[in-house]
Amino acid sequence: MTGAFWRRFLVPGALWLILFFAVPFGITIAISLGQATELGGVLYGFNPGNYADALDPLFAPVLLRSVGYAAATAALCLLIGYPVAYCIARYGGRYKQALIAAVLLPFLANYLVRTYAWVALLADEGLVNNLAGEPIGFLNTPWAVIGGLVYGYLGYMILPIYASLERMDPALIEAGKDLYGSPRQTFWHVTWPQTLPGVLAGTVLVFLPAVGDFISAQLLGGPDTYMIGNLIQQQFYGADNWPFGSALTVVLMAFLMVFMVFYLRGSEARREALG
Amino acid sequence: MTGRGFDRPRFLVVVTALVYVFLFAPIVVVVLFSFNGARSLQVLDGLSLRWYEEFWQDESLRESLIASIEIAAITTVVATALGTGLALGTMRSRTRTARATGLFLLIPLVTPEIVAGVSAFVLFAQLGVALSLTTVILAHITFSISYVTIVVRGRLASLGPELEEAALDLGATPWQAVRLVTLPALWPAVLAAAMIVFALSFDDFVLSFFTTGETPQPLPVRIYSALRFGISPTINAVGTLMLLVSLGFIALAALLPRLLGRRESGVAVLTGSRTA
Repeated sequence: MTGAFWRRFLVPGALWLILFFAVPFGITIAISLGQATELGGVLYGFNPGNYADALDPLFAPVLLRSVGYAAATAALCLLIGYPVAYCIARYGGRYKQALIAAVLLPFLANYLVRTYAWVALLADEGLVNNLAGEPIGFLNTPWAVIGGLVYGYLGYMILPIYASLERMDPALIEAGKDLYGSPRQTFWHVTWPQTLPGVLAGTVLVFLPAVGDFISAQLLGGPDTYMIGNLIQQQFYGADNWPFGSALTVVLMAFLMVFMVFYLRGSEARREALG
Repeated sequence: MTGRGFDRPRFLVVVTALVYVFLFAPIVVVVLFSFNGARSLQVLDGLSLRWYEEFWQDESLRESLIASIEIAAITTVVATALGTGLALGTMRSRTRTARATGLFLLIPLVTPEIVAGVSAFVLFAQLGVALSLTTVILAHITFSISYVTIVVRGRLASLGPELEEAALDLGATPWQAVRLVTLPALWPAVLAAAMIVFALSFDDFVLSFFTTGETPQPLPVRIYSALRFGISPTINAVGTLMLLVSLGFIALAALLPRLLGRRESGVAVLTGSRTA
């Protein structure tokens, strides 16, 4: 069966993605260079001022904050996700499948509803504060927003790490011990490098959606914790400044593409270094 | 094991247990308070089904639930078909077009939903297409195709092109080889992909928010507007029902192969275990 035969299978899906993914992003770029009319419409043109606004000292902190929150989210997800994946993979025994399914179950509940449940739990008169005895004031802090993001995307970290632990040959750990490696040495010199691809995949899977998230900041945070997603949403609903909203969207996408290129280069270089 | 750090199960088990508590606390709150007799979201006061009744009597909420199921079902069918086609094309054809397409379809995977939402929104606005359930479905399909391709490609890689070559040797035409050999072998991965797409689409808020018209709105969008006007315990009932729909669909997808007498379930493919 020739390449030409198989190529036919590409046509419907590729056309769909060009029409509904590539073309719309092109329109977004075109609008980002336009001007908002007073009626909330768009006047096409060449107006790079929208980008200058996006990087203006008034709005640049929002972008930095989004990246910072997303990075903190990825780090926390790794910190608590790795032990969970490790525990299930090593000590799960015949309950492994059930334990992994249980990790995924909460992610089937609607993200909005789940996040809002945290509002009920963390509110000043909520359950957590009652248990603590005094109102701690969780809500409207950066930690509440980051916590909401961790809660929203933790599954994306646990799954790839679990998969890479499962793929690993347990004999390698035995070999490490036979060579008089302490458990800690065996972990850092054997297990960790073997699972690094899973860790990196998980980091990307958490980081990317977290940067663009606006639910967590909207429900658990306040104006001081708004992220770029909130800013973009406002431009389309409320502020009616589509060109500025489009410019912010393009900036976000460009940043993530640069990030992905570095990530892919890095993983390529590592693969070569490992031989 | 007597070592320290990660090799000591007790430490690990405590961390893992705490994470499970963290994961399930809000779910338990939602489900429990959906049966609360009182209006409060802090104190349980007897069990009742009044919030489910309230949901059922709200015609627009009911319509939203049906709309969301409709959106997810159509999205699942179309995206699974298109994505499987892309998987076959990019894995089996060695042409340059195929390789370029393979790279191109990774981009939707790394695109945050808000970017896809804004893009779809401006597309429909510039084309003058009125926003409706159809525009929501178009956006959902676009965002789901790549997930299907990735899952199905994983399975195709393990099958190898020898499969179809054997069929050709036995006198099958190329189309027969695909229909009678490749597709049946891919079936578990296709089901697994369908499961993911249904769950993503049914739960999706961001894309729906940017592409929906006035009525009926997808359920997550309805929940969002309800949350802005202050919380009602009805939302807990809606959240519980949504969880049940997703669980029901996944149970169906997991059981279907078994009912049809096949060994591998979609769930087994997802979690990486290949045994029945």
